[in-house]
Amino acid sequence: MNNKISIRIDGELIPATPGASLLETALAHGKFIPSLCHMKGLSSVGACRLCLVEVAGVNRLLPACTTPVQDGMSVTTQSDKLRRYRKITLELLFAERNHVCAVCVSNSHCDLQSLAQRLGVTSVRYPYTFPKVPVDLTHKKFALDQNRCILCTRCVRVCAEVEGAHVWAVSSRGVGSRLVCELNRAWADSRY
Amino acid sequence: MPRITDLSSFNEAREAGLAKLLPPTPRIAIGMGTCGTGNGAEAVLQSFSDAINQRGLSIALARTGCFGFCAAEPLVNVWLPGKPLVILQRVQPNDTAAILDDLTAGRIPAGLALCRIDEWDHITGHVKYGSGFPEIPLWNEIPFFKGQKKIVLRNCGLIDPTDIEEFLAVGGYQALYKALIDANPASIVESIKAAKLRGRGGAGFQTGSKWEFLSKAKADRKYLICNADEGDPGAYMNRNEIESDPHSLIEGMIIGGYVTGASHGIVYVRAEYPLAVHRLETAIHQAEEWGLLGDNILGRGFNFRLQLIEGAGAFVCGEETALIRSLEGKAGRPTPRPPYPADSGLFGQPTNINNVETWYNVAPIVVKGPAWFTETGSPKSPGTKVFSLVGKVVNTGLVEMPLGTPLKTFVYDVGGGTANDRAVKAVQTGGPSGGCIPQEMFDTPVDYETLAQLGSIMGSGGMVVMDEDNCMVDVARYFIEFTHSESCGKCIPCRVGLDKSLHYLNRITQGKGTEADLATLDELGRMIRDTSLCGLGQTAPNPVLTTMRHFRHEFEDHIRASRCRAGVCEDLALSPCENSCPLHMNIPRFLQLLKEDRLEDAFVSVVMDNPLPASTGRVCQHPCDDRCRRSGIDSAVNMREVHRHIADSIYPSPRFPDLVARLSALRKPSTGLRCAVVGAGPTGLACAFYLRMLGHDVMVYDSNPNAGGMLRYALPDYRLPKEVLDREVELIKLIGVDFTFNTRVPADISLNELDQRYNAVFLAIGTWKENWVYLPGTELTGVIPALPFLESVSKRETVPLGKRVIVIGGGNAAIDSARTALRLGSGVTILYRRERKDMPAIPEETEAAEAEGAKIAFLASPHRIVGSPDGRVTAIEAVKTRLGEYDSSGRRRPIPTDEIVRFNCDTVILAVGETVDIDFAKASGLKISDRGLIEVDRYSLETSRSKFYAGGDLITGASNVSGAMGLGKKAARNIDKRLTGLKRWRDLFPKFEYDQAAPAHPSDSRRHHVRELEAEDRARTFSEATVGLTSVEAMEESCRCLRCDVRTGDH
Repeated sequence: MNNKISIRIDGELIPATPGASLLETALAHGKFIPSLCHMKGLSSVGACRLCLVEVAGVNRLLPACTTPVQDGMSVTTQSDKLRRYRKITLELLFAERNHVCAVCVSNSHCDLQSLAQRLGVTSVRYPYTFPKVPVDLTHKKFALDQNRCILCTRCVRVCAEVEGAHVWAVSSRGVGSRLVCELNRAWADSRY
Repeated sequence: MPRITDLSSFNEAREAGLAKLLPPTPRIAIGMGTCGTGNGAEAVLQSFSDAINQRGLSIALARTGCFGFCAAEPLVNVWLPGKPLVILQRVQPNDTAAILDDLTAGRIPAGLALCRIDEWDHITGHVKYGSGFPEIPLWNEIPFFKGQKKIVLRNCGLIDPTDIEEFLAVGGYQALYKALIDANPASIVESIKAAKLRGRGGAGFQTGSKWEFLSKAKADRKYLICNADEGDPGAYMNRNEIESDPHSLIEGMIIGGYVTGASHGIVYVRAEYPLAVHRLETAIHQAEEWGLLGDNILGRGFNFRLQLIEGAGAFVCGEETALIRSLEGKAGRPTPRPPYPADSGLFGQPTNINNVETWYNVAPIVVKGPAWFTETGSPKSPGTKVFSLVGKVVNTGLVEMPLGTPLKTFVYDVGGGTANDRAVKAVQTGGPSGGCIPQEMFDTPVDYETLAQLGSIMGSGGMVVMDEDNCMVDVARYFIEFTHSESCGKCIPCRVGLDKSLHYLNRITQGKGTEADLATLDELGRMIRDTSLCGLGQTAPNPVLTTMRHFRHEFEDHIRASRCRAGVCEDLALSPCENSCPLHMNIPRFLQLLKEDRLEDAFVSVVMDNPLPASTGRVCQHPCDDRCRRSGIDSAVNMREVHRHIADSIYPSPRFPDLVARLSALRKPSTGLRCAVVGAGPTGLACAFYLRMLGHDVMVYDSNPNAGGMLRYALPDYRLPKEVLDREVELIKLIGVDFTFNTRVPADISLNELDQRYNAVFLAIGTWKENWVYLPGTELTGVIPALPFLESVSKRETVPLGKRVIVIGGGNAAIDSARTALRLGSGVTILYRRERKDMPAIPEETEAAEAEGAKIAFLASPHRIVGSPDGRVTAIEAVKTRLGEYDSSGRRRPIPTDEIVRFNCDTVILAVGETVDIDFAKASGLKISDRGLIEVDRYSLETSRSKFYAGGDLITGASNVSGAMGLGKKAARNIDKRLTGLKRWRDLFPKFEYDQAAPAHPSDSRRHHVRELEAEDRARTFSEATVGLTSVEAMEESCRCLRCDVRTGDH
C-alpha cells in the first residue's frame, strides 16, 4: 500500500491514507463533519447518521464514519439537504427522551447540546415523547440516567473494546431500546 | 437406503418415484400445506384413509404440497391410470365416500372438479398423466391459472414433499448431477449471470454477480445462506415453497455451494413456520442419506453441509447483515456495509445470502440454460415471480406470473375482481416496505424498475388488493405502526422518525390532524428514506409517501372534513350507516327513539337530518344497507324504510302542525341576511331548509311551476306519489322558505342581479340535458330522450308511445322509462351493453321492471335505428358485445362482435345519462371543469365567483337524490359560516336523551321488506307500487339495530 491517494472534500484536495475512513480523514484535516456515535479509538457503527455526506457518483448518502476513502473521491459535507436532515436528526433526539438542559449536569459540556447550537437547532418541531424511563442509582459511585441517553453506544463500545468488560448492551428494539447493564441487572449487581 | 453414486442408482430411484406418482391403481393426493391443513385437509385425509381401509380398496393415498389456489382449499388430486390428473376443490370429509365411489367406478366426481392436468412440465422433468375428461377444463384454462407460468412452483402441489423419490421422479437433483458431472463451476456462474436472475427477496440485485464475488473471495470457509425469514404481513410465498417442495431449495443451494466454493449452507427460517421447518428438516435428512448432501456428494468428491436455523421472530432479521448477526448469536441489528458479506459475512467469512425463491430458479437455469430463462418475463427482469395475491379479490392464492405482467391482470383476471362489486382502489405491493398503486395505474407492468418509479417495490411478492372499504390513511398508519415496532432502534431516523410519523398518522385518523402535519410527514418520510442505516428504514416510509402522493384527497378529507369515506377510522364516524349516508343522518338515534316509542322525537331527529325523509325513504339508493353490521348476522336493518315510516306517520296526521311549530321553534333568530337558491330540486330544497333554519331569508327560484325538481318531474308516480312530495315541500314552506316559480336563471334573472340582491347564492339546477347517442336513425320520429318523456308523463301530458318500446341504457332513468312505458300499455325491451351486475340502476328496481314484464337484453349495443320511408322508427339493430379487458372503472369493456340482433319496435327511448346544460354553464361565467361541470372547492362548494356556491348534479354530474341533498346540506353549512363568521352549525341540532346501550342479544326478528303489489296489478297503474312498513314492523326493524354508535369506552 502506498500513501499517495487524495480525495476532495468540499472542493479542497486532501491527501488520504488508504483504509482510513472519510470521517477520520476529514477531521485530521480540520474539516468539520458532525457526529455523535463516532469516537476516536472505537469501532464505527454508523448509527447516528449525522455524518452522512454526498459522494459524487453515488446516488445515496453515505456515512463518513464507515465509508473508506478511495482515490479521487469527491465529497460534499455541506448542502441544503444535509443541513436539513442533520437538524431533523437532532430534533428527533431531543424529542425522544427528556433532555432539559437547564437542570442537566452536562449543561455546557454536552456534545448533543453543542452540536445543536452549532447546527442552528433552536427549537424542536416534533412533539416530545416524554417517556417514563428509569434512573439506576444503585451503584456506589455512578448513576445511569436513561432520560439523557441518546443510544450512541459509545459507553457500550468503550466497555467492550477498551476495557474488555462487556457490561453494557442495548436491549429491546425501536423506541423501546434501552441501555442495560449485563442481562438487565441493577448496576450494583454487576461484578464490575 | 440406496446411496446414489452413479447414473444407474440415480435412475433406479427415479423409477421408484415414478411408480409412486403413477401407480397401477388410482391415486389420491391431498394438499397438505398450512393453507390446506387450515381448511380441514387433515380431516379429509383421515376420512379417505379410514374409508379405503374399511372397504379394502386398492387406491394409493398420498400427501402433497399446495397447488396455490388458496380460495378453493382443501384441494385433492385424483388420478385414474391412463387419465389426466384431476384437481378437486373444497373437498370436505363428507365428500370422501362419494369420491371413492366414483373413482372405483372409473369416474371423476364432476361437481368437485376444478381442473385437469394431462401432462406437466416440471422443467427439470416431465410427467404425462393421460388423456380424457374433455368436460373438465385444463388447469390453465381456468381464470386463476390462466397466464401463470410455474417455474418456481414447478413441483408444488404435485409431489409428496416428504418423499425424495417423487422429487427425483420429476427431475429433481438432475441439475445437481449435471453440474457435478460437467465440473465447470465458472460456466454455471456465467449462466446465472446471462439469465439475469435477480434476487427475489426484493432488492433485485443480480444473483450471478453476487455469486461471482463469493467465488472469487479467498477463504478457508465460505457460507451460503438462504433467507427464509419471510415476515411481510399477508405474504407467504416462501412458506409454501418450502412446505411443498423443500428439495428444490436444497438442490439450488448445493449447486450454489459447488460453484462458489462454499462448503456450508444455512437456511434461516422463521420459527413461525413449523411445517416448513419440519419438512425441510426431513428433506435435509433424506438428501444426506441418499448421498446428495454431506460428504462426497454423488460420489463426485464435493462436500456441502446444510443446516437449518430458526429465526427468533424479528422482522429486521430479513435484512442480510442483521440476519448474519442473528446467526452469530448476537442481537439482530444491521451493521453498515462495507464490509459486504461477500468480503466479511458470517463469523467474518465470505458469505452470500439469497432469498428462498432465488434458489428455486437455479436448477431450471442449470438444466435449460439462460436463453430459455430469458424467454419469460421482461428484458430487464426475466423469469417469473411468485406473488401472494390477497385482500379484496375473489381468487386469493399464490400466483406465479412472468415479470412484467400488468397489475390489472393480477387484480381482475387472476384475482377475479372484488367479491362484493365494490370498486378496487389500489394494490399494495412489497409489504411494509412497499407502496400503494392506485387503480388508475393498473396498466403498470410488475417489474423491479417500474414499481420503484411509482414509489413502491417488488419486495418479496406480497400483493394486497384494496377496495373502497379500505382507508388509505389507515393503511399507511398500519404499516408505519408495523415498521415502527419492528425497527431495531439502532439508527435515529428509523427509531425516532417512524415513532413521530406514527404520531402524526394517528392524529390524522382521529380527525385531529392539520395540513401542516402532511408537510411534516412528507419531509420526515424523505429524511427517513434517505438517511436510515438499513433497508428497513430506507423503505419504511414508502407506504406513507405513496399514499400521500396517490391518495392525497383522502388525507385531506380526514383533516379538513373530519371524514373517512371508507368508514375505517372509528373516531371520525358515529356508526357505519351514518358514515355512508350522504346526509350523515344519525340513524341509530332515530331507530332508538322509535324503539322507545317516541315517534315525534324520532320525526324531529329525522327531519333535522334530512328535510325530505318521505321521498328519500322511497327512492334513496340506501348505501347504509351495504354498511350495516347487522348483515354479518343476517341482513341489514331496513333503515330507509324506517324513516319513510316515521315520515309517513307524521305528515298526514293531526300531529303535523305541532311538529311544524316545534321545528319553527328550533329556528335561529332572523339574521336579516338574504340567500337565493336556484333550483327547487332535492339539492336546492335541502340547502334552503337549512339556511332558513339558520335564520336567513331564503328565496328559491325554479323554472317549473312547482317544487321538487327531478323528484317531481323525473320520478314516476308509482315510485314517489306527488302528494308525498307535496307535504314535504309544504313543511319547507311553513318554516318560511319562499319560492318564485316559472323563473329561469339567467334568462329571467341574471347572475349579476342575484349578486346584487342577495348575500349568497346557491346554484343547484341539476342535470336536465339528456345525453344523445350518435347512431344512425336518431332523427327518426319515435326516438325520444328519457327525461322529457318522464317529465311529460308526470305532468299528465299525452305522450305518443308505440306498442313496442325499446329503452337504451342501464341506469335508473332507463328503468323508470321502461316501467312507465309498461304502465302506458306498451311492451318494453331494455338494451344494455354490459352485464346485469354493471347496471347503475337500483337492483330492486330492475327486478321489479322484469316482474312487470320488461325484457332486458344484456351485452347488446345499439348500432342503428331502422326507419320506414315516412321517417318512423320500425326497428333497432344492436351488435352483440362480448366482455373484453377491464377499463378504468373496473368493469369489463364491451367489445362488439359480428353478431347483429334486430328488434322490431316503434319507439326508442334514449336513457344513456344526463349532463349539465352547457349553455347555462357557459352563460353563468363560472369556471367549468373538463367534464362540463361547474367547478367548486371540494370542501366549501364555493364556485370561482365569490358569494356563489354550487351543489348537486351541477358539480358531480348525474348522481342520486341523497348524494345531491348531502351537497345542499354541506353548502348551507359553509354559506352560513361565510355569512356569519361563526361556527354555529352544530348548535342548530336539538339534543335528545336516549338509551346508550347496545342490546344484550341481537333481536330474533328478520329484516322486514316493503310489500310490493302483485306485478300484474301494479303494472297497470301509476299508484304507488309498494306499501311501507307497518308500525309493528318498523318497531321490529328498530330493535334489530346493533347500536354500533354506542361507545363503551373500553377499546
